[in-house]
Amino acid sequence: METIGHYLRIWLASARYSLVRATMFRGDLFIWSVVELLWISVNVAVIFVIYSHTKTVAGWSQYEMLLLVGTSMLIQRFLMGFFWSGIFEMGRNIRSGLFDFTLAQPGDPLFMASTRKLELDGLLNSFVAAALVAYSAWRLGIHPGPGAIAIYLCMLACGVIIHYSALVMAMSLAFWITSSQGVEGSYFTLMEFSRLPREAFGRLASIIFVWILPVVVVSNGPARELLRGFEPWWALGLFAAAMGWFAIAVFMFRSGLRRYTSASS
Amino acid sequence: MTKYFQSFLVGLQSNLVYRWNFGVRSLFWFFHLVVVFILWGAAFATSPSIGGYSFAQTLTYFVVIFVLQFFIGAFNEDYQISEDIRNGLINQFLLKPINYFAYRLSVFAAARVVSGVFGFLALLLALPFFRAYLDFPHDAWRFFLAVPAMAMTAIIQFSIAYIFGLLAFWFLDIQGFVILSMAIENLLGGQMMPLDLLPHPIFNIVRFLPFFYQAYFPASIITGRQGLDFAVQGLAIQAFWAFALVCLAEFVWLRGLRHHTAAGG
Repeated sequence: METIGHYLRIWLASARYSLVRATMFRGDLFIWSVVELLWISVNVAVIFVIYSHTKTVAGWSQYEMLLLVGTSMLIQRFLMGFFWSGIFEMGRNIRSGLFDFTLAQPGDPLFMASTRKLELDGLLNSFVAAALVAYSAWRLGIHPGPGAIAIYLCMLACGVIIHYSALVMAMSLAFWITSSQGVEGSYFTLMEFSRLPREAFGRLASIIFVWILPVVVVSNGPARELLRGFEPWWALGLFAAAMGWFAIAVFMFRSGLRRYTSASS
Repeated sequence: MTKYFQSFLVGLQSNLVYRWNFGVRSLFWFFHLVVVFILWGAAFATSPSIGGYSFAQTLTYFVVIFVLQFFIGAFNEDYQISEDIRNGLINQFLLKPINYFAYRLSVFAAARVVSGVFGFLALLLALPFFRAYLDFPHDAWRFFLAVPAMAMTAIIQFSIAYIFGLLAFWFLDIQGFVILSMAIENLLGGQMMPLDLLPHPIFNIVRFLPFFYQAYFPASIITGRQGLDFAVQGLAIQAFWAFALVCLAEFVWLRGLRHHTAAGG
């Protein structure tokens, strides 16, 4: 309990620092908020254009698809808001030797590295993504009770854990390879799959993107829970994938850390 | 002219150093094509024709966009220019008889030769999967009009990146602006979807914007989405935008130099 309190205090200090920093660079916060909002709008616009020419995509109606895209974006905004900057800088710091400073801090290195900064623009736009989910649910006539919303939120949390783990794994490559510049691009490319309905995938694509890489389950699980009600196998599958991917990410990070030879100069 | 040819040759060498980055980028684009294939394949499953085009014609459009991006698209020229300004490297160009725009354009051309080769190789590898879905028109005039359209697309792409890079004369960090423009270009340039699927009134506005000529226009000529009359009119509008953007780039450069302070010896 004392350990949890210790880490909570560290996280609150980081959050306070991020908030002060964001208010110092208000123009920057504004620009990045607009950037995030525009990307959400671009994705929504594509859905509207596709559905202006067809009624369903893989059996999903327009607002079902919007709910799926909103869910996927919600997970991504949470990841961007809470962890992105810290993990992204971790990759650079490992190469430059600046990771020494993280190791010298009073806490687990992975926790310290990944919770160092909050990005308010990502968190602000999570409200836009949440509004998109709520609007789609309203258009579909879905009125989930508190229990269904709680399960949806738990499944979202599992999705964030999977995204977080994938990003930690990608950035941990910096322990082994000299230049992992652009590796973050692999994360964004893979996450494009999370905006697609599970039913759109053929047999081979299902094996890769549903069973081996859980990029589809991450968003389809919570969205289906709202649309079709609680399906235990989806929830259990998502929970198991989250735990499994988190364990692999931590293992990979720790294996890499053993190779870290500090600043090279 | 010789000095810019030498810049081109040096650009070729320095870009070959980053061949793995281009290789990785090609791989990501291949995954992007897989997303396109799954999404549009699912949309076409219930509608044999969308916007008057078959699935094969739509997929061909995206493959051409993919190739165009590697041969004539601006990747990170804006970032390189902003770094030249931020680090003071721009000072050396102010003291020499060299035009910075022409120098950067020659380096851009060299980079596109290298990335074009990698993009083409990636396409060759992907061809066995997509060959059955490719459907090109056979009109000879398309080739003759596509060549100047692609050349002017390259100039427009480069000029926009150049102008955004020059914003570093006024702003410390231009990354937000760059990603903002990327979102607009992705949507209005036709990289997310063929622009002829937009509602007609919106399409008629978009066709007069420079973004329209960044990818969609040459791709629409090559893939047969537009006829001869439209292509000829489009070339005239594209020539206007290419000229206007080069003039704007020169104007921003001159204004930026007034702000610039070359410190140090």
